[in-house]
Amino acid sequence: MQGKALLRFESPTLTQRMRSMLGVDFYRLFHTPMYYIFLTIAAIIPAMVVSMAGMGGPDGMAQAAPLYTNMWNIIAADTPLYVVRDIGDYANMNMVFIFGGIMVSIFIGHDYRSGYVKQLFTTHAKKLDYMLSKSIVCAFAMACMCGTYLLGGMAGGILAGLDMDVNVGSLLIALLGKAVMSLGWASLYTFINVVLRRYFGVSITLSFILGTGIPIIGAAAILGNTPALNVFLYGASVYACLSSNIFTLLVCVVISCLWAVACNALGTLVLSRSDVY
Amino acid sequence: MNAIEIRDLSKQFGSKQAVNNLNMTVPEGAIYGFIGENGSGKSTTEKMICGLLVPNDGSIRLFGKDYRDDTTRSKIGVLIEAPGCFPNLSVWNNMMIQAANLDIKNPEREIAKVLKTVRMEGAASNKFKNCSLGMKQRIGIAMALLGRPRLLVLDEPINGLDADGMRIMREVLTDVTQKHDCTVLISSHILGELEKIATHYGIIRGGRMIAQMTAKQLEDSCRTYIALRVKEKDKARRLLTSAYAQVKEDESDAIRVYDDAMPEEIVSLLYDNSVIVSEIKKAKVGLEEYYTDLMAEREERRA
Repeated sequence: MQGKALLRFESPTLTQRMRSMLGVDFYRLFHTPMYYIFLTIAAIIPAMVVSMAGMGGPDGMAQAAPLYTNMWNIIAADTPLYVVRDIGDYANMNMVFIFGGIMVSIFIGHDYRSGYVKQLFTTHAKKLDYMLSKSIVCAFAMACMCGTYLLGGMAGGILAGLDMDVNVGSLLIALLGKAVMSLGWASLYTFINVVLRRYFGVSITLSFILGTGIPIIGAAAILGNTPALNVFLYGASVYACLSSNIFTLLVCVVISCLWAVACNALGTLVLSRSDVY
Repeated sequence: MNAIEIRDLSKQFGSKQAVNNLNMTVPEGAIYGFIGENGSGKSTTEKMICGLLVPNDGSIRLFGKDYRDDTTRSKIGVLIEAPGCFPNLSVWNNMMIQAANLDIKNPEREIAKVLKTVRMEGAASNKFKNCSLGMKQRIGIAMALLGRPRLLVLDEPINGLDADGMRIMREVLTDVTQKHDCTVLISSHILGELEKIATHYGIIRGGRMIAQMTAKQLEDSCRTYIALRVKEKDKARRLLTSAYAQVKEDESDAIRVYDDAMPEEIVSLLYDNSVIVSEIKKAKVGLEEYYTDLMAEREERRA
């Protein structure tokens, strides 16, 4: 008679679990057309804003006043501008976080629509792994969008013949700061989409609204240009500007990490205490 | 050790009590047929076992461990409703994703093996969305078999399968239980198919387990009857009804006598009244009829 096989329960470590889950999520990211569409959008928008803002009107009408005189203003404002007066103050690399919000909603929404989560959560995968993996992968995607945004903005600026003078150190810190903020944003969007997983329309709308920074811009209109707004993701993202220094980067790292920890912890709690599917 | 042990399990969706103080025991190595009408709580119970739904009350133990223990999950293969695959990816890539989630060593070999088991090796390069319903079910079963599970939880896996698919399914389930010490929990409405493989049964109604038994116990508790075919059916039925308490006509137009009658007595009775019997056999009611009778009995009790 054949003996019974010994039943062994293996417990993969967090590293092992994360490695396989990140592998799957990165594979999915690189194999979905949506990712490349958003990268392209992130490049086209700044190029269009910069190159079209100073164009002449039809039939020889007077040329509109250019939004920017300096090419790098499409990346970030000269100083942190929480109060927005015109589109020039608003249109900068922070727009990437709007595209990112929509992308994360579609990415996570697809997990639920396809039934993939059902397949995933019947393995040894933990809810925390899911939150972390989605946050990391989406943060990477948003950081890549920052890259294509930079390229698009530069191309537009060169075409428009804008001034290129900048403090390179501050510019690099601003770029790095915004890339770092991607982690906080991605975690927030992941949290929103996990909580509102049964309401795709609501989650994508909420992600869009938060990504535009409307609540913070509204608060700034009342409170004025106060650094207190830096505790919010949009505030810290605005803080990474062309006059950034190492303290700016520190603020971005701390705020982004705090939001990431809070959103991932809350998301894990929600997933653990509620029905998955 | 029992593969599944459920005690006083309850689940409520809003005001609807989907599962109500359910108790269930699935011994290791069993093929447990989980039967019940639509909305009786089968899928909800299975989803709770797999950790997809959070129970309101009660306990679920899998191989002696709490169902929330993540280590037990790697030993469970699941097919609930339909496989959770990405429609635009190929069958192979979907399988690779699940293999990665299960942290399977040498996934290519394992995937090729399970696809061969369900005779789907030729469809590996097809996009999942282009597969037929039957193919998708087979892929779902292949996915559930990944990682050599010790417990398979299958919700309506036979749905959409053709005759060949059903035969393969029977072979696979029998094989995994006999050769690989796997336990199977399977729910299905196709009771005829279930009857061919199940070693244990659980019947659920209104979220409560109303009967649990082994296949042997079911067989013992099933009534025997004598089925016969005659030319003069009306006359024969009149005669039999006057002599026996329970006489019915089945869907194949045969007359069934459920009392403990001997075939010889019935033939003599009919022969004496000039009714010629063309076919007669002694048989037992099947699972389907047992289930229908049980449901009718419950309905009567409620009324």
